[in-house]
Amino acid sequence: MLDSVREIETPEGISLRLRAAGPLPRAQAWMIDTIIRLVLLMLAMIPLAFLGTGGRGLAMLAMFALLWAYWVVCELWLDGQSLGKRALGLRVVNADGTPVTWLPSVTRNLLRVVDALPGVYGVGLASTLVDPGARRLGDIVAGTMVVHAKESSFGHQVPASPAQMLPVPLAPEEQAALVDFAERADQLTVQRQEELANLLEPLTGCRDTAAVARLLGYANGLLGRP
Amino acid sequence: MKQERFVALHAQEWDGLQAWLGELDRQPKRGMRREQALEFPAAYRRVCHHLALARGRGYSHEVTERLQQLVQRGHRVLYRPPPPRWHRAAAFLVADFPRLVRAQWRCMALAAALFYVPALALLAWLQVHPEFAHTLFSSARLAEFERMYDPANPHLGRSSGTNLQMFGFYVFNNVSIAFRTFASGLLFGVGAIYVLAANGIIVGGVAGHLTAIGYGGPFWRFVVTHSAFELSALVIAGGAGLQLGLTLLAPGRRRRGPALVEAGWIGAKLALGAFAMLVVAACIEAYWSSQAWLPDPLRFSVAALAWLLVLGWLGFGGRAGRHGA
Repeated sequence: MLDSVREIETPEGISLRLRAAGPLPRAQAWMIDTIIRLVLLMLAMIPLAFLGTGGRGLAMLAMFALLWAYWVVCELWLDGQSLGKRALGLRVVNADGTPVTWLPSVTRNLLRVVDALPGVYGVGLASTLVDPGARRLGDIVAGTMVVHAKESSFGHQVPASPAQMLPVPLAPEEQAALVDFAERADQLTVQRQEELANLLEPLTGCRDTAAVARLLGYANGLLGRP
Repeated sequence: MKQERFVALHAQEWDGLQAWLGELDRQPKRGMRREQALEFPAAYRRVCHHLALARGRGYSHEVTERLQQLVQRGHRVLYRPPPPRWHRAAAFLVADFPRLVRAQWRCMALAAALFYVPALALLAWLQVHPEFAHTLFSSARLAEFERMYDPANPHLGRSSGTNLQMFGFYVFNNVSIAFRTFASGLLFGVGAIYVLAANGIIVGGVAGHLTAIGYGGPFWRFVVTHSAFELSALVIAGGAGLQLGLTLLAPGRRRRGPALVEAGWIGAKLALGAFAMLVVAACIEAYWSSQAWLPDPLRFSVAALAWLLVLGWLGFGGRAGRHGA
């Protein structure tokens, strides 16, 4: 329940990891969208004001488009992202992780009315807090989900050092933990590196700087470096 | 195979795929013209295979995470929806939408009853007890209705405003009401029932009051044509909402979740059809119904045609011919 990651199996037999977006980033995205729509409406009003009463009719049409069509048009053209969602790095996807299609998009945005009901998105907030996928009612009925689209950074390399043989064979998870430590070492302070390395004194047989160096050596060996 | 060797063997392919996906994000058309576009499905499946291998062999977080992100971007490109085709929209309006309405005939009949029974009952009741109108509406609103349909008014059905202004107003107002009627059906159908019955009471009340005080002529001449589209669309949107609420209450021999998703998609299609009908209704209401100079025979024959068209379309549109589809 605490983990917001949903694993979805693809036809290729591997699992996609979708990170469901909670109510807070979605509310922020909604605020941005609302401001953008208000600005667009005001910009549209300036030329329409010169058209007299007919302009008032066109302004009504513009309001209609911004109230109802904005979301669907954005989601279909911008790959599941309204402008606010793009700013926050969120994306609407179908339940199977594929880009949102027009029918689910129309459904979820028509049912926005129900989610917005008491005050400002009362039902939607309750629904996102209860549902494990943080879906509002419109998402549940449309079969869609809002996920984090920003990709976490990678590119950390294990610092190169002469490979050392492990004194005892380690289980696969223990080996993975060693390599993960080596990969993240440059993100940690030296003190923290030493503190963590000291926990493995029974394995390395030394402390502090020497222990860190030895763990990096083991990691290099596990990766298959010379 | 050790991780280092695995990465050295395949890193070039991963970088190539990543660069192409990046280009596709920035310039979709140019990216699709590249040689790599033809290669892409095979390259994507190879990377999927690499990810499975990397997971199975317990390679480090860096490698699996990198492959994972590559696969997710590739998945989004490979399984992107096809671009919309406009002839599908025409086919939907001509055939699929009437079929869908007929398939949901129980909900549609219920919605029609919820709307027309109070409307017709009030219309009849107000002929016998005209003073009841003051119980339904405030005197300010009654005065407004009377001004709109005053036989001395040169425009029918409005006290002021140009055609274009009223068109914008009708689209905004009526379509918003229809969409809300559908959406509020999700509240166990209560919202749709309320909107349908309330609109039935208002429409019946106005019609009954104006007929009773002798303003019936302008009123009926104004509403007779566009009501074919407008009232049918309201009933369809209400029926779509009822269908959604009833599925939530009684999903039948299915799990509630998948049943709701299916009902939601059907409802969205019905709401889109109702939207198209309401735009037609707004055109007629703003540009045809309000023209006071139209001779009555022409007006009423067009109205009859509109009603026949709507009922014929909803009743027979998309049916297979005599020799089968």
